[in-house]
Amino acid sequence: MNWTPDDTWIALTGALCAMACSLPGCFLVLRKMSMMGDAISHAVLPGLAIAFLVTGERASLPMFLGAAATGVLTAVFTQWITRFGNIDQGAAMGIVFTTLFALGLILIVQAADHVDLDPGCVLYGAIEFITFDTVSLGSTEIPRAALVNGGALLLNLTVIATLYKELRISSFDSGLADTLGFSSGLLHYLLMTLVAVTTVAAFESVGSIIVIAMMIVPPAAALLLTRRLLPMLLLSSAIAGASAVLGHWAALIVPPLIGFERTNTSGMIAFTAGLLFTLAWIFSPTEGLLRRRADALSSADGTT
Amino acid sequence: MSDGALSLLRGLLIGAVAWLTGCSPASRESASEDRIRIVTTTAMIGDVANIIAGERAEVRSLIGEGVDPHLYKPAATDLRLLKAADLVFYNGLMLEGKMGDVLAKIGQRGGHVHAVADDLGPYILQSGPGHADPHVWMDVAGWTRAAQAITATLTAFDPDGAAGYAQRAGTYLEELTKLDAYARDSLASIPAPQRVLVTAHDAFGYMARAYGLEVRGIQGISTESEAGLKDIEGLVRFLVDRKIPAVFVETSVSEKNVQALIEGARAAGHEVRIGGSLFSDAMGAAGSYEGTYLGMIDHNVTTITRALGGNAPEKGLNGKLQ
Repeated sequence: MNWTPDDTWIALTGALCAMACSLPGCFLVLRKMSMMGDAISHAVLPGLAIAFLVTGERASLPMFLGAAATGVLTAVFTQWITRFGNIDQGAAMGIVFTTLFALGLILIVQAADHVDLDPGCVLYGAIEFITFDTVSLGSTEIPRAALVNGGALLLNLTVIATLYKELRISSFDSGLADTLGFSSGLLHYLLMTLVAVTTVAAFESVGSIIVIAMMIVPPAAALLLTRRLLPMLLLSSAIAGASAVLGHWAALIVPPLIGFERTNTSGMIAFTAGLLFTLAWIFSPTEGLLRRRADALSSADGTT
Repeated sequence: MSDGALSLLRGLLIGAVAWLTGCSPASRESASEDRIRIVTTTAMIGDVANIIAGERAEVRSLIGEGVDPHLYKPAATDLRLLKAADLVFYNGLMLEGKMGDVLAKIGQRGGHVHAVADDLGPYILQSGPGHADPHVWMDVAGWTRAAQAITATLTAFDPDGAAGYAQRAGTYLEELTKLDAYARDSLASIPAPQRVLVTAHDAFGYMARAYGLEVRGIQGISTESEAGLKDIEGLVRFLVDRKIPAVFVETSVSEKNVQALIEGARAAGHEVRIGGSLFSDAMGAAGSYEGTYLGMIDHNVTTITRALGGNAPEKGLNGKLQ
């Protein structure tokens, strides 16, 4: 295997996307809404169908806009149902994305049954091929996907840095946030909009698997290692970035070793994140398997 | 530690060293320096390109056997194949989904990329206003034109090989003509009221048009859209009324919906069986007869004809069917 400049771009873009997803992912995990990325991946269907009905074609831009709009709506509806329906957020997400998905199916059957409108066909990009679609900046050719995901990361960083204190308080104690004078509801909508935009931008540029995995796995692993928000955000970004780089490297190096002909970069990135999570689960200084074993042993010693 | 784990560890170490030192066994794999490197998306295109190019080219297909092209996920090494390719052929008409955009971009940047369906012009079937049916290989006469277009592209790219291309294309086109005649005769031997192909998704439009079949698909073109209850009910009534003896499943699409039809017809007192499995979006295993374009169509035609009460030899046109 030769590591080429293309591979550097793929690993870098993967890392940017993974970090962009893991930052809002931390808040999703803390708010017990981890499956938001997955929910959005189903809920975009009516957006694709409506974009198709309006424009009459399956070009990438209308598909992206339709998906982004329904992504944001998914987040907004989930919040409404949670607030006014008084049910937990997991259930609210379930209601919203299944309803939107069903609406999408109805629209497709009614109006576009002869056209292939699967998200897999018209929306999801492939990280393997990002270097074919570049933008010239000065003398260098930068993959469009790197710019999109870099932009999403920058946006997430900016919002989180600006509203860090508010987000922290509202994540752990929304009542306190309200009494302190800033609306936890408004912050929540803002956060969910970030999630939706990040998710759909990443779907379009690098595909869905990385996004869904990176919104959950690195934040969950980070939560095993620390109980404080800032270290959690940093650790989660580090784990996300490492998963992307190691994942792409593994996708190139592992298959010939175990006799597979081909592996998929996105899949290996998600798998690597899973491995890192397992390591965190075993070795975490507070929650880890080894630590709990040791605690159990020492307390057993204490009683005898 | 087991042997497997040890060898995996050793492999990982070798891999790490190879990566760090920037050289690897794979980079020495250059036995075919002087041959044209052709990459195709579907194996159907790859098969034709391989036959016509002969020894002058090395042909690789990205989408493997039994894979639905709409749902194809690239492997990490596919980028290298595409970058190293001298000539790329793909189907077009959105068959490859968003990957079509990628391939078109390579074309815009001066790469030799060719969409086979672009050469078919008025042959292309419109499945709706402004939306073309991408399954162009299902009609042998249409695919003959694709083969001619591939020959022309190869000849323009490599004029030195022109004589060989023309000769191999001539032989292959004869085989296609024979296959076309076989398909026409076999399918025409099905009793007229039963000349109906009921299958999981609408991949057989071209075949229907060419050989006078009526096609009823359970779901639309997209493999993700679901069959509605009313669609199933309507089809069951149709099967019972017309006494259709068999329905068909596809290798790259789930047979769940087809099972629902069989159950429904049985409840109405009409026995329908699965007439066999058809190749729609992908061919059979590489290396087998069904893994070639000729074998794929031969299999489909023979399976349909025999299941619907027509006359076709059990082993197909060339006596090679499994």
